[in-house]
Parts: sequence; C-alpha cells; structure tokens
Amino acid sequence: MSDPRVAPHVTQWQATARERICRAQDELATAAARGEGGREALRLYADAMDEVVEQLYAHASIGSASERPDPIASSEWVGVFALGGYGRRQLWLHSDVDLLVVFADPIGAAGQRFLQAFFNPLWDLGLTVGHHVRELKDASASIEDNPEFLLALTDARAVAGSAALLDRFAHANDGRAAARTLSALKSLIEERHARFNDTLYQLEPDVKDAPGGLRDLFAAFTVARLSDPTLLGQGGAGLKALHDAEEFLFRVRSILHLESKRNANVLTHELQERAAERLGYPGATARQRVERLMSAYFRHARAVDRSLRWVLRASPLPIGTNLVQGPDGVRFVDVGDAANRPDTWLALFDAAVDRGAPVAGEALAMVAEHAPRFSPETFLPTAAHRAALVAFLTPRPGLYARLSEMHDCGLLGQLFPEFKAITSRVVRDFYHKYTVDEHTLLTIRNIERLLDPASPRRRFAPILGELDAPQLLVLALLYHDVGKWRDDDHHIESCRMAQQMISRLELSDDAGAMVEFLVLHHLKMSLAAFRRDTEDPEVVRQFADIVGVEERLKMLCLMTLADVEAVSPESLTNWKEELLWRLYVDTYNRLTLSYGDEVIDERESRVDEIIAGRPADLAADETRRFLEGLPRRYLRLFARQDVYHHVRLARDVGANGIGAWIQPKAEAVELTVLTRDRPYLFSNISGLLSSYGMDILRGFAFTKPDGLVLDMFAFHDAERFLELNPGSDEQLLRAVEDAIVGRLDVDKRLRGREEGAFRRALPRMAPVVHCDNDSSRRYTIVEIVADDAHGLLYRMSRTMSELGCEVDLVLIATEGRRAVDVFHLTREAQKLTAAQQEELTATLQRVLEGRS
Amino acid sequence: MKLIKAIVRPNKVEDVKSALEKLQISGMTITEVRGHGKQKGHTAIYRGQEYNVSLLPKMEIEVVVHDAMVEETIRAMIGAARTGEIGDGRVFVVPVTETYRIRTGEREVV
Repeated sequence: MSDPRVAPHVTQWQATARERICRAQDELATAAARGEGGREALRLYADAMDEVVEQLYAHASIGSASERPDPIASSEWVGVFALGGYGRRQLWLHSDVDLLVVFADPIGAAGQRFLQAFFNPLWDLGLTVGHHVRELKDASASIEDNPEFLLALTDARAVAGSAALLDRFAHANDGRAAARTLSALKSLIEERHARFNDTLYQLEPDVKDAPGGLRDLFAAFTVARLSDPTLLGQGGAGLKALHDAEEFLFRVRSILHLESKRNANVLTHELQERAAERLGYPGATARQRVERLMSAYFRHARAVDRSLRWVLRASPLPIGTNLVQGPDGVRFVDVGDAANRPDTWLALFDAAVDRGAPVAGEALAMVAEHAPRFSPETFLPTAAHRAALVAFLTPRPGLYARLSEMHDCGLLGQLFPEFKAITSRVVRDFYHKYTVDEHTLLTIRNIERLLDPASPRRRFAPILGELDAPQLLVLALLYHDVGKWRDDDHHIESCRMAQQMISRLELSDDAGAMVEFLVLHHLKMSLAAFRRDTEDPEVVRQFADIVGVEERLKMLCLMTLADVEAVSPESLTNWKEELLWRLYVDTYNRLTLSYGDEVIDERESRVDEIIAGRPADLAADETRRFLEGLPRRYLRLFARQDVYHHVRLARDVGANGIGAWIQPKAEAVELTVLTRDRPYLFSNISGLLSSYGMDILRGFAFTKPDGLVLDMFAFHDAERFLELNPGSDEQLLRAVEDAIVGRLDVDKRLRGREEGAFRRALPRMAPVVHCDNDSSRRYTIVEIVADDAHGLLYRMSRTMSELGCEVDLVLIATEGRRAVDVFHLTREAQKLTAAQQEELTATLQRVLEGRS
Repeated sequence: MKLIKAIVRPNKVEDVKSALEKLQISGMTITEVRGHGKQKGHTAIYRGQEYNVSLLPKMEIEVVVHDAMVEETIRAMIGAARTGEIGDGRVFVVPVTETYRIRTGEREVV
C-alpha cells in the first residue's frame, strides 16, 4: 500500500524516471548493437542513473524530513553512494545497480521512511538493485567481516546526500584498510581463477570472471591504486594495451547483455558469432569472423593477465592510510594528496620505524619541497597528532635514522621549531667532534643502541626498560642543547625553549615537569660523577636531593650516558661509564633505602610554600602537624593540592576512621588511603586490589610516628571493573574499608584467583630477597626483586606481618615483568636481628617460589 | 731528573693541575686508571644483588721534573690531592736516566 505522504511525489517522479532510464537504456542498446558499447556508452548510462538516484534521493528526503530529529543538519544525515561497476561509471544494460546508503546516526523512524521512499520506486523501475544500508558506527564491523564489500568500497562514489559520510565511513577503520583490501582481493582472485582451472584459454570464456576478464582488469587497477598508481606503466602489458583490452571487453560484454537480455557474461559459441558480426570482424564465413574475434579476445585477455600478475608481484605492501612499503622504503601512494596534508607526514616516518625500513627518496623529496609552505601548527592540528608526535619518540631501532631523515628534509624543524636554532651549529671546544644538531641526534642513537642485546653498555639497558615514559627522555634529549645557539648557560636557554614546546604540545603537568627537569639539569650527573668524589656520601646525598625520585634518576642517568657518548667516539671511556654507574647505584640506594631516616624539617622552604599557599579551610598548624614526621620523600611525590587533600582527610580520620579515595589518572588509577596503623593493613589493601583483578604498578606507604598511615597504590584496572560497572568506585572503597577493619576475608577472596595465576605463570627468574640493616638508622630494609605475579605484594607483606614485622615504609615498583619492592620494617620497634632476618628471608623465598 | 707519578681521586685532578701550574710545571700526562691500595674497594648492592667494586676509578698524573724540583712538586701534589680519608692515593718517584725526543730522535742524557 502506498504512503499518502509520498505517493504524489513518487507517481510524478516515477513517470519521469522511467522515461529517463528507458531512454538511456535505448541509447546504450543502440551503441551495443553497433559494437560501440564501450566506456563512453557505459558512462552515459551511469550518468543517467545518477540523475535518477539524485532525484529520488531528493523526493525521499522531503518525505522523511518532518520525522528527522535535527532538520538543520539534514544535509549531513545520510549519503547515497554508488559501488562496484556503477561506482566506476561502468553500468551495463543488465548490471546490478549497487548502492550504499550510510546514515550518520542510528537509522530510526525517519531513516526507515527514507529507505522505503528511496528503494521502492527503484525496484518499481525494474532495476536490479544491490543495496547496503549502514550506520556510521558500524563501519569497522562491516568492513572487517565482508571482504567483497571492502573491495566494492574501493570504487565507491558519492551520488546524493552527504559526500563527507563516505570518507568517514571508509576511514572509520584504521590505516590497515588498504592492506586488508589487498589481502581480500588476492584471496578472491585465487578462488575465482581456481574455478577456471587457472587458465584464460577458455573456448567459451566468461568475459567478466574468467582469468584475463573484466574482474582481473579491475583487480589490476585496484592493486595499483592502493599501492602504486604508476605500477601499470612500469611493467606487464603496459597501459595502452590495458586500456585497449578494457574497451574491447566492455564492448563485448555490452553485446552479451543486449543479445541475452540479461546479466549474462559467457561468450558462448553462439554469441561469439553475434559479437564478431556486431564488432565488424572481417571474414567470408562466420567461423572466420569468430576466429578473429577470439584471437583478439585472447590477445586482450593475455594483456590483462600479464598486467595483473605484474602488479601482484611488484606492488608494494600497503601499511597504512596512503602508505606503502616497497623495495625503496616507505612512501605515500598518492604523493599529490600527501603534499597538501602535512598532518599525515609523521605517520610516514612512524610507519618506517615500525617496519624497520627507510623512508623512500620520493617521499623525502616531497616533504623537503613542501615543508616550508606550512606553518608549524598545521603539522599537528589536533591533540591526537600532538600525542602521536610524543609517542613517535619512543626509543626503538631506527628512530635515529628516521629523525635524521626528518631533519635533512626540514620536517624536524617544523615539528620542533626550536631545533632549527642549532642546525649545523658549530661550538668550538676541546671535546665535541660534531655539530650541535648531529650531537643531539647521536644521543638518541645511543639510547636506541641500549636496546641491542650486544650493547657494550648493557648494564644500563634494563633502566631504559623500566622507564614509565621513555619517549620523554628522547624529547628531553632533543632539547637539551637547543640553547647552544647562545654562547652562555645553554642549559637555561634550552629549558626556556623546551617550555615553549611543552606548552605547544600540551604535555601533562607531570610530563612537562620531567622534560624541564631533564633539560635544566642535564649536566648535573656528569658533573657529580666525573668532577666530584662520589665515594663521599655527602656528594651522593646532594645529588639525590637534586633528582628526588627514582624515575628522574633513571632518566638523568641514561641522558648523561647518551650525552657523554655522543661527544666523540672516545668520550665515554669504560672508566667514566664505571663512575656513572656507581653514582647511579649509590643514588638509587640512597633514594630507596635511606629515605626513612630523613623526615620533613618544618623549616625547609617547601613546607613554608605549602603553608603559605594553603586554602582557607586549612589552618597553618594543622597542615604543619600533618607534615611533621613524614619522610621528606613525601614532599617530592605529591603536589601541593594533593597535600591539602591529605590534610583534610587526616582531619576526618578519628581513632578508627578511614579516609580513602580513588582518582583516575592518565595511565593508571590511584587509590589513596589514610588511616591509623593496624596489623596487616598494607597486605589487606594490596590483597583486596588484587582480588578485584587490579594490577598494582607502583605505590608508596608512609607511617608517621603518631601512627597515621598514608598508602597510595597506582594500579591498572586490567579487567575494566571500574569502567564497566557504574558506581564501582564506591563499591571498591567500601570493600577497602571492610578489608582494613577485618569485615572482609581478603585471603579467601584472593585464593581462587591466586591459584589460577600460579597455574598460568611459573616463575621465570629466581626471586632475590635481600635484608639490609646498614642503610637506615631506624629500619631493616628488605629489598625484593621477583617476577611480577598476581597477589605478589599481598603474599610478601602478609608474610612479613605474620612474622611480627611492622611495615612502616614501602616503595612498590613494577618494571616490565619484574616487581621491585622495598620494605622498611621494624619488629617490636627495633631493627630485625640477624636470626630474624634469616627467618624472614627464608620464608619470603619459599613464598615467592610458591613452596608454601 | 725524576718521573713523578701520582695516583689521585678523579675529582682532585684539576686541583693538582693548578698546583703544578703554579710551579711552572705545565707538561704532564693524565690517564684514567683503576686500582686499589689499602682501600681495597668494597661490595656494592643493587636491588638486593651484590657486585664487586674492588677496582676503584682513579687518575694518574705523570710529570718529569729536575731533581731540584722533586720535593716541591711532591708537596704540591699531596697538598692538592689530600682529603684525609682512605683512598686519597699515592705518589711514586722514579729516576729518569735518559729521554728521547720522538720527532727528531734526539737523545738527552740526564
């Protein structure tokens, strides 16, 4: 039953459309009958079909307009696209009219109305319509699941409605779409050829599907378009032969449709005679004419076959959006398009690093030619682009080589304008052997070389693997000497220039502070290691004060190593390397083992700053009392706002009170707990987190002399518990409280999970348990290095508590697959005796090896 | 003439150089060396595992001076390199009987 709202339009429209289509079909039939149903005739028919589709779209849109939620955006809500042969403007008399309809939003009632009003009249016209209807959000799934659809999309063409939706639909998947398309195409070619016994010499060939037929012709063009558009001109039968073959096959197929009055594509013996006649092949007899036709057919089919084989053999591998890898390296498929899209250039170099390949000369030349045309911000227009640039700097093999290419072609200076200041800069001194820019890039090569298992500096390599954000180290190295464009105090100028970059790239506060620190202090470690007496504990203490925390120490150590080694081939002697290593170890030990003895001195300037900047609801005395007795390390770990938050929570913590909160951060979730000390406190919290599947990455525990405990755990929500369960923050916080006061049996909760974990992961390295009674005046320090495992922290801390130890301070770190945990313990307010240490070590070893 | 070899802490090299320059001694050879005397190094611990640091980094400074300058040179070296702690180093005095100038092959008997 027709819809009264659309019927008047459709009735009128149908008559016009039918007339238009019939006229176009007559014209194509006439051309086919004359043997002239080639590309021009097919295009005219496709154009007529476009007109019909456009008109129909307009009518269907009017009919559904009143039901659409946002009429203002009506032009963007749906798009109609031609696929396959119709997309290529090659429409035969009885070809399917393949259409894709894409909706920007869920289809809804208005969409249903539109589809009905659009497709019904098309079917009424007697056309065979192949239709695909998709919502934009389903783009990835529909592309993943259907190789033929993926292939059809390569010829998609906007006919009506929002043309932009096609781009959004086709690019909804990642840059591997081209690779997947090629892979799908190759599979389809193999299957199809197998049906024809892999030979083109068929007595009654299918001009569409047989080897050497139209599908092979389109396949050759598609492979070239996706990988290298110039490929068909470089080998195979050559472009002219291919175009001749195309015209021939088009005309033959047009005759087949005309003669058979359906979508028939087999050139049967009978139809060979008709085709030979219509195409005007000479000969006194039908047989002679057919022989000439078939001779021409096989010649053209061979040309198609040769070209297809050539492109399949020679085509570079698609590796990303508009990117391929060929023998000469990684390059753009469409250089012209890339030349106007500087925001895609970083992906070129990133793909090259990932593939371990150079960037092809042609691509480098394009970047070099066009880079000066663009302002720096056009290279990094979005936050995602800026994040990608920072991520690109992650140390990996090939990074130095690609950065050098970027520098040579002018891209590095566009991405990091401050770097231009040191291009080819010569600074004369007794040590440096290279220009400042090359010295800088060599530092990055030195970091990269640490990844080589045969690196002569291999004892430093694990430090690189332990860094949370190694890309920031490379970023700091890029900027450490940019201030050398001036002749004095280059580290200060470098830092100023780095601040510009930090602001431009919108780095997080933590990341920005790390880069600033490294650039400003990049000379400090070499000064201490090579010019000071590192046997002197005071020198180590002063240096430890500068770095503050382990992550900065590790970064600065690697930065110094790379910087010294990049001065000249002889600059980093084994002797200097040894000095640097010893300073690193001594400082690391000081930061992790001795910090418990250094409590906050109320006279230090940072305390004054915190008190002066406190919000109105906090009293000076209250803030001062809270800080009193905490290790000085606390001040290095927490920002002022965090401190104020802690003070407020401490206010609310009564004799049995518990203050806890969860804070999502960029790469981890943080749980902070403030409460009074009690037995098994630390192990219960860590065990509870593990029982929820949380992977504890790092953390701290501080105990004040008055018994107030501050624990902080940073964890990865591996099973997405918090994300998938609304209100789960509160649930977890309640469970933390229950675990602390003993209302919840953590051991029981964790047992099943731990058993599974033990079965899955056997220890790969022997755990190390080391007791140290010398490094701290107040504590026995237990340092544990073991393969990370679920519930590991719980098992260790519980063992300590079971043996009567009080866990006062803890540093938790997960470095790759290793857990490095340091516990500061006492037993009955004293350091552990030798016998107690022995018992603890043996018990922990058994627990860590899963023997108890 | 005497060859004076001083093994000093790395951070004392600049001090020793300055002290020698004040005595108008500007020709010297400085080498990075490793070793130990009575100090004998120690065992360091990194992440619970021990490693040996028995060979300590030191700097060796060599100068050749006339006999008349020997005492003064030694005093200057010791004065500049001393901290009073174990590991300050050592000074050796070796007689030099003849020297050769490599560029010309010229022999000098002293």
